[in-house]
Amino acid sequence: MDFEPKIVSFLCNWCSYTGADLAGTSRMKYAPNIRVIRIMCSGRVEPTFVLKAFREGADGVLICGCHPGDCHYHEGNYKCLRRYHLLQKYLKQMGIQGERLKLEWVSASEGKQFADLADSFTETIRGLGPCKVKENVETLA
Amino acid sequence: MANEEKPKLKLAVYWAASCGGCCVSVLDVHEKLFDVVAAADLVFWPIALDVKYKDVEAMPDGHIDVTLFNGAVRNSENEYMAKLLRKKSKVLVAYGSCAHMGGIPGLANFTTKEGIFNRAYIESESTDNPEGIFPQTEYEVPEGTLEIPEFYNDVRSLGQVVDVDYYLPGCPPQTERLVEVFMAIVTGAELPPPGSVVGANDKTQCDECEREKSENKTIKKFYRPWQIKDDGKTCFLEQGVICMGPATRGGCGVRCIVGNAPCRGCYGPPPDAPDPGSKMMSAIATMIDANEDNEIQEIIETIDDPAGTFYRFSLPASILRRTIS
Amino acid sequence: MEEQRIGVYLCWCGTNIAKMVDVESIAEEVGKLPNVVIAKNYKYMCSDPGQELIVNDIKEHNLNRVVVSACSPRIHELTFRKALENAGLNPYLFEMANIREQVSWVHTDRTAATRKARQLVKAAINRVVFHEPLDKRSVDINPATLIIGGGVSGLSAALEIGEAGKKVFIVEKNSKLGGHTADIDLTYPYMYSAGQMLDSMVQRANDNPNIEIFLESEVDEIFGYVGNFESKVKDKNGKETELNFGNVIVATGLKPFDAGKIDNYGYGKLPNVVTSVEFEKMLKTGNILTKEGKEPKNVAIIHCVGSRNPDYHEYCSRICCMVAMKFANQIKSALPDSNVYELYADMRAFGKGCEEFYSLSSSKNILFLMFDQKEGLPLIKKAGSGDNCDMIIEMEEKLSGENIEVPADMVILMVGMEAQDNAKDIAHQVGVSMCGNDFYIEKHPKLDPVATTTDGVYIVGGCQAPKDITDSVSQARAAAARILASIAYGSVEVEVTTASVNEDVCCGCQTCIKVCPYTAISFDEEKNVSVVNEVLCKGCGTCGSTCPTGAIKCKHFTDVQILSQIEGLMTLEEV
Repeated sequence: MDFEPKIVSFLCNWCSYTGADLAGTSRMKYAPNIRVIRIMCSGRVEPTFVLKAFREGADGVLICGCHPGDCHYHEGNYKCLRRYHLLQKYLKQMGIQGERLKLEWVSASEGKQFADLADSFTETIRGLGPCKVKENVETLA
Repeated sequence: MANEEKPKLKLAVYWAASCGGCCVSVLDVHEKLFDVVAAADLVFWPIALDVKYKDVEAMPDGHIDVTLFNGAVRNSENEYMAKLLRKKSKVLVAYGSCAHMGGIPGLANFTTKEGIFNRAYIESESTDNPEGIFPQTEYEVPEGTLEIPEFYNDVRSLGQVVDVDYYLPGCPPQTERLVEVFMAIVTGAELPPPGSVVGANDKTQCDECEREKSENKTIKKFYRPWQIKDDGKTCFLEQGVICMGPATRGGCGVRCIVGNAPCRGCYGPPPDAPDPGSKMMSAIATMIDANEDNEIQEIIETIDDPAGTFYRFSLPASILRRTIS
Repeated sequence: MEEQRIGVYLCWCGTNIAKMVDVESIAEEVGKLPNVVIAKNYKYMCSDPGQELIVNDIKEHNLNRVVVSACSPRIHELTFRKALENAGLNPYLFEMANIREQVSWVHTDRTAATRKARQLVKAAINRVVFHEPLDKRSVDINPATLIIGGGVSGLSAALEIGEAGKKVFIVEKNSKLGGHTADIDLTYPYMYSAGQMLDSMVQRANDNPNIEIFLESEVDEIFGYVGNFESKVKDKNGKETELNFGNVIVATGLKPFDAGKIDNYGYGKLPNVVTSVEFEKMLKTGNILTKEGKEPKNVAIIHCVGSRNPDYHEYCSRICCMVAMKFANQIKSALPDSNVYELYADMRAFGKGCEEFYSLSSSKNILFLMFDQKEGLPLIKKAGSGDNCDMIIEMEEKLSGENIEVPADMVILMVGMEAQDNAKDIAHQVGVSMCGNDFYIEKHPKLDPVATTTDGVYIVGGCQAPKDITDSVSQARAAAARILASIAYGSVEVEVTTASVNEDVCCGCQTCIKVCPYTAISFDEEKNVSVVNEVLCKGCGTCGSTCPTGAIKCKHFTDVQILSQIEGLMTLEEV
């Protein structure tokens, strides 16, 4: 059977979640592989959530927030950016390809960008193949 | 103090993948040894008594009142003894960091059995093994078959192999804490629910740490402890040195910091932590004083080894458990 | 934990969801999950019968948690929370799964869409188990209002509020009130004098003791929350005044597009090429004269300068067509023998009386010449010595298909409107979001066009999007009415999904203190713990993710809730 990526996505309420909704109201079409969790701000996203997603079987994790300078809560997206970079370094040490975690800024009016991002990230993950974390942990017993 | 009529507590201490330090910490009871000996019968302790595995196998189930099991589980012998002692003990305590979270041996989860064997038996500089012989679990000799335990690919904590009643953290646990827990069991005090951490505070190190803390927790560069002139009184984090204190349970007497070294996290995470290292990782990242990609990455360059720093004692207990193999 | 009794409702939304997601089968599957007492599907959950269904089930089946899978929570979360309240259940014991905007409307394969919807429903069920009741929180409202910008929008709002007896502060960066309207001569379509309208407004504002005006002044960063804001106003000499107010109206307006950016039009090089703004000022002086002091025989008016063009601004600036009509009429009136040419791309005459105005203008011997921006812009050149005009405009006239030359002694460029240069700074100061063109974003384009997602902050007039005086005044008075209503009510509800510190867990490391953009976290030296002021807290969750001990709990977005949601997304893979 062809591999269908499972991607967990964290979208911030004010910008990226609204942008994703806009893609919907505009009836844009994109790949059905992204499963969304809504949070108020990308500043709420922390490494624990990303690691948990991989552990539960996600092949990719996508975090979206407001563009730098436009965060509804002023600076939450910067905190998310800092955590993203440190997490990438940790993931590399643990043998997880950095391309599996993506942080992208999507504003409330960027419905098309969100749809394109959903498609392109799905293809990136499809190319990387399934993420082995869950399988790895299950073989440990 | 136990009285004449009350039977003595049957106590066992065992070491799996361990350095021996936990056993030393038990010996460190010093003069309290008399209290211990008065209250307890040591029925099994390989480092101190000549009691064999077969003696333990012969015990009825639940015969041992309390077993302090230290060390991680990394080979078949460790696993066998973990299961055996679980059967033979009423209360099984995961004693020390290795049994609690995998400990230092747990860092082997950064590599594989193959990687370890290659290094130990072939590549290491002082090894002379031209035929590339690896240990085998069975070996025929004229006298019969020799068996040694199977070396597993992955290190596990005790709780990942058997049900554990209590966790007594530390590398090694502070002896005073051990005595407190032991006396609580002896005097029949009400114990917390099974699966709890004992002998450690719920609050993390900062609560007891005497160093001066302020709200200025932004870092432009991280330093290794030897790279700074520690002023001895300011919070390590505020001097740019990663200290695991905020995410590590207290109860050890803040001993590393009192010794002017930053906490490394051996007492493990506070209650209900979803992962032993990820919250500290998030806190440290948040402290980075930069908002541009390249500036942030430059500062992260000064954190040499995030995985080893945040999971030094807890890699097997982390969400990812080990590197992808 | 108490026994969980969850009711799950899947909405068809007519065919909007049902045609792409098999809601009936999902309802059947999740009905079998532990803790799910009821699992139903219904055509329109947001309708009265739909909500009644929930209310009745809560009462009849003793439900203590509800999940609705339907449209985006941004549309109906409040609706369903009210339904729970009506049934006597705390409104926060509710979770929504978005299976319309983010599933049925965007995917094309029914199996894949249904699978994704199922994951989202499962995640919501997982999460709602850990929801906790939260109580509403209200704060008093300071009845004073800050209005940034003293143009026609700001003035309209100020008069509405001030004349209702409430205090208003107007902060205007220029030396006089009136904004762009002060430079307008007559207004379309009825040719009323802008000056007369404006002068009386300015007079009333100056005379009103409730209205305090700060000219040549700017507002510094605004702190606080709805009903309780504070800021400093600085005048040109650096003198600072502290202000306290309950609501803010942003009426900072726009600026004209810089015509110099379009080489074809020679603005800045050819002296008789002027912008509409400059021509309006000329009209106010009463004389239409070229730079050489002569009355122009040929006047060309070029539309869409900097508008509807992906190289400059894609949007339409809304008023230029009608202003151009107005100019044509005024020129014809002042100089009856002149030739007036309207070089237009489209004629947009949608407002009240505007189509009639356009028809009337068409009968006045004005020549309408159409060009297509995609084919190429008209080119203005200096005329040759043999030509009896100052300039020649070369253009491809679309309706005839011919390349023509238009004589012109004066060319008026109908420049588009764009956001102010400091729009971003002001946005950050007041806490509003901007769209791609740097205009401010309203709370909802149809249903809430003057409010923003920051409670207590309203946007009116040109800063929200190009518009005329009529629409600006409507918005301004609408915002004023909203504010007066909230002042009359006396209190306003604030965020309840705030953060709080568990003092039994907090170790006093102080990592969180400076992380809060609203300075809502302080340190209690005595107890050695951090404390969150939940009235200042806006619930972003940044502190919760920063805390190394897990002491900070972000209500309604706790670790446990989110982690269980992640688990839910990844289970129920196959039926």
